[in-house]
Amino acid sequence: MAGAGDPLAALLAACGRRDRQAFTRLYRSSSAKLFGVALRILRREDLAEEVLQDCYVSIWNHAQDYHPGLSAPMTWMTSIVRNRCLDRLRKPRLEVSDSEGEMIDQAISDDPGPLAELERSKDAEALARCLQALEARQRQAIALAFYDGLSHSELASHLRQPLGTVKTWVRRGLLRLKACLGGAA
Amino acid sequence: MRYRDKPELLDRLAAEYALGTLRGAARARFARWLQDDASLARRTEEWSARLAPLAGSVRPVRPPARVWRAIEARVGAAAPAGGLWNSLSFWRGLGLIASGAAAAMIVAIVTVGPGAPQPAPPPVVLRVPSNVMPASYLAVLTDPKTRKPMLVVSAMRTSDELHVMTLDPSIHVPNKALELWAVMPAGQRPKSLGMVGKGHSTMLPLHAAADHSLSDVPMLAVSLEPMGGSPTGEPTGPVMYSGPCVKVW
Repeated sequence: MAGAGDPLAALLAACGRRDRQAFTRLYRSSSAKLFGVALRILRREDLAEEVLQDCYVSIWNHAQDYHPGLSAPMTWMTSIVRNRCLDRLRKPRLEVSDSEGEMIDQAISDDPGPLAELERSKDAEALARCLQALEARQRQAIALAFYDGLSHSELASHLRQPLGTVKTWVRRGLLRLKACLGGAA
Repeated sequence: MRYRDKPELLDRLAAEYALGTLRGAARARFARWLQDDASLARRTEEWSARLAPLAGSVRPVRPPARVWRAIEARVGAAAPAGGLWNSLSFWRGLGLIASGAAAAMIVAIVTVGPGAPQPAPPPVVLRVPSNVMPASYLAVLTDPKTRKPMLVVSAMRTSDELHVMTLDPSIHVPNKALELWAVMPAGQRPKSLGMVGKGHSTMLPLHAAADHSLSDVPMLAVSLEPMGGSPTGEPTGPVMYSGPCVKVW
């Protein structure tokens, strides 16, 4: 169900058959989105470029593993990018000499915030509605984790809350999201 | 495994993996479970799909053109089996990056040997200082079992020195030595190029400039030999690593 009929699914299938033109078109139609995702998490252009490069090479190499029945093409590719970004974050955040929390705060606060954008997007209506139904702090914790790649401890320092509290917000928020979306995913 | 009996815990881990809050060793361990547990993979995929619309609202940013150039070069190197070394896109890919090279040149390195089974492993990318390799001979020696690249050997066309880079220090065996060979076309005996040093990088003298000494060499190989090298002048131990020797310019 997930990816059928999506033009990106056809391009991915063609990439699986080693069709270079399809790969070019796939890159043209998806790279800006994925670069945005990587930049937001990594907050450094050079790292985001590196990750984007690795991810498209990986997408090309594994295109035949993509099953339109399992996930939408953008979901599949976004997972690859987010996973790679999170791996990259495992290495100590570079050039963070003073307070890590401060740098993260700055990086986060100068962006208008994709959550507002989400409410305008049709595709995401159900998710936006369910996010609205969460407690504000649960919603904020989930958004910071997803968009900015914050770990539990980074969330705790950013939100100035004990680690356990933040973990609970995330866990309960995710459970309520799932219930609200009704397993429709 | 114990975790299989705890569906609630599993669902929470799947959710936190998809969200990204599962980190470090726990994330790596969970990723390994995903490999051999289809139902866990499906559960995680469901969570990714639930959260995926969030990514749809991230502001798109057009990446600089160099990103696509680098990708093209790298996937060009993983071209279909068979005509790899004759493949125009492979050479064009290398040319593209070489022409944009400033302090460093990115070499897309292919780990497919002749007749290697498909699918090919993803290419390895190395940054080679431009003073080590402009127009050069290049060989990536892989372990035939794992197909992992273990050594990169290169020489500039006009140079009479061979640069040997060891990618994995574990190739060295106590009380044994590794000897590098030029595997010659059918009917000719292999020629020793010298011993692989214990460090990350070794320079070996060639008997003549690479354009003379390597131009007819289709392949390089490393064999396991007694300390000091083969006593006979030909490989006496097993061939550990090998790879095609190609011209890059």
